[in-house]
Amino acid sequence: MRFNTFQVSRRGRREKYEDRMGYCYTREAGLFALADGLGGHPEGEVAAQMALQTLAALFQRDAKPALEDPAAFLQDAVLIAHQQLIRYAAEKGMSDTPRTTIVACVLQGRRAFWAHCGDSRLYMVRAGKLIARTRDHSYLELQNALGRVPQDGETFNRNVLLTCLGSPGKPMIDTHGPMLLEVGDRLLLCSDGLWGTVPDDFITEQLSASPVADAVPDLVEQALRNGGPRCDNVTALAVEWEGEADADEGHTEAGISTRSLSDDGFATTIQAAAQDGRGGADELDEAEIERSVREINEAIRRANERQTGVLKKS
Amino acid sequence: MSKPKPAPLPAGTVVGGYQIIKRLAAGGFGVVYLAEDPERHLVALKEYLPSSLAERSPGELTPRVKPEKQPLYRLGLKSFFEEGRSLAQISHPSVVSVLNFLRENETVYMVMNYLQGDTLQDFIVTARDMKRDKVFRESTIRSLFDEILRGLRIVHQHKMLHLDIKPANIFITNENKAVLLDFGAAREVLSKEGNFIRPMYTPGFAAPEMYRRDGALGPWTDIYAIGACIYACMQGYPPNDAPQRLEKDRLALSLSRLRNVYSDNLIEVTEWCMSLDPLSRPQSVFSLQKELARETERRYTKLSFSERLKLQLENLKTGAKA
Repeated sequence: MRFNTFQVSRRGRREKYEDRMGYCYTREAGLFALADGLGGHPEGEVAAQMALQTLAALFQRDAKPALEDPAAFLQDAVLIAHQQLIRYAAEKGMSDTPRTTIVACVLQGRRAFWAHCGDSRLYMVRAGKLIARTRDHSYLELQNALGRVPQDGETFNRNVLLTCLGSPGKPMIDTHGPMLLEVGDRLLLCSDGLWGTVPDDFITEQLSASPVADAVPDLVEQALRNGGPRCDNVTALAVEWEGEADADEGHTEAGISTRSLSDDGFATTIQAAAQDGRGGADELDEAEIERSVREINEAIRRANERQTGVLKKS
Repeated sequence: MSKPKPAPLPAGTVVGGYQIIKRLAAGGFGVVYLAEDPERHLVALKEYLPSSLAERSPGELTPRVKPEKQPLYRLGLKSFFEEGRSLAQISHPSVVSVLNFLRENETVYMVMNYLQGDTLQDFIVTARDMKRDKVFRESTIRSLFDEILRGLRIVHQHKMLHLDIKPANIFITNENKAVLLDFGAAREVLSKEGNFIRPMYTPGFAAPEMYRRDGALGPWTDIYAIGACIYACMQGYPPNDAPQRLEKDRLALSLSRLRNVYSDNLIEVTEWCMSLDPLSRPQSVFSLQKELARETERRYTKLSFSERLKLQLENLKTGAKA
């Protein structure tokens, strides 16, 4: 299996950084996951981190090198992640449990499966069209599903979730799949920081128009701009499926080929909690540096535009 | 046995279209050069080159960073970006402005307005050496800090702290404008995560909470430094540093020397800003501005006989001149 992937996470203007993302793969299967720790409850970032680590650990245990039943795996793994959070809170004697949303996707052979709980989303785009999207477990989405139109002056708070991992009741976990993949299909996992400020058709368009390595940072950038001074954490991870077989000779792109792994090989970007408390998103890579430089120059340009005519040139 | 500092770029080097004329200053975060833009305007070019993490031999352009120092180097780079990002948003005559941001030689550069003038530190030293009874006139101090506080207020509004306010970082241009410089120590207040290395501090101007790992920094931390700057403007010398004050606080005593030279109100404001307890200081720049701008009739209180006696005894002990 070959795929191209790109992930970006930005803190936005929030004090806390509670989004986590990552992927791991064996020779036959890939797991992509994203979690958004909930504010208003303790240790959202711990919840998100634990959920991802649990999924990654179970994937490593069960994908040998393929998963027997990817849909069942997702259902079980997400539930176990939930139980881990409950246990964690109990062990620490916390009065409230850390909570998180989750969205996870497994690619195996030509098939895609995904599961989610809460309002982190998965988008699947093929040939410029949105062909699948998860439905949030939120009050707003429920009202939409029921065909209810807000009455005068009534607004639904999109932040009110009906379920999440770590809440006292059993979480709702929606699983989907198998969905048959075609070469060039793109899947995007994202937190509400992205979809809350960037409309679906824009996401679809961007995702179709350029390689994931450009589309993802562009989308995140757009979300940060739209999000303004109160911008939430924005996290997005996209995968482009490039086919089951290895790349033809002379046609190698910068993607990942799982064939390079041995039978029991396992690769992951989901790390144990960073010891210094910083998430992977805080590491600056070259692309991030370039982007920061561009952003700052953009801010300088905007500030100058505002000043034109006001400032007398000395 | 300290390791050699990374070499600055030699004069004549061109970085992203800016030609370096000479080195102006070097600090922990990097080097500031005087440079010329393609239209031959003078600019200040600040290079990210943390002296403890990067190495560069004379004549080389690209700094080298040992692999084990990479994470810290990158962390510092982040805060260099934060500085650029924040300064880019702030457009105020009392805050140094950023003109451009470059990526060259595998590091980054910030292009800033080149200001002509002198630092407040230079002015204090000059005035002090004239040995008059006053270092600055009270009205000069009030209007100078009114300008600085306007800039600082904008900085705080952008969720930034300066954290290294001192006379050497306050610039007085030849047009007589006060400008806050060197946001190298500044960082976004909101990013509490991670074990960020505490920014460097300057004894005398750094508030006591700057010395503690868990000290809650806030606008009050910059306000302490402002108080210390006002103190330096009146006294000609920086105040004792915070650890010394915590052991034995002589601030009130040394301020009493200024009684009858400066108004009671200005002395009280200074003492208020420099309270050791952060909560006892003005909590915002605004409340300090209000107090400084209060132009009521200035009252001067002479020292009483017992106070003068106490001061003389103190002078005998410390050998200070009255």
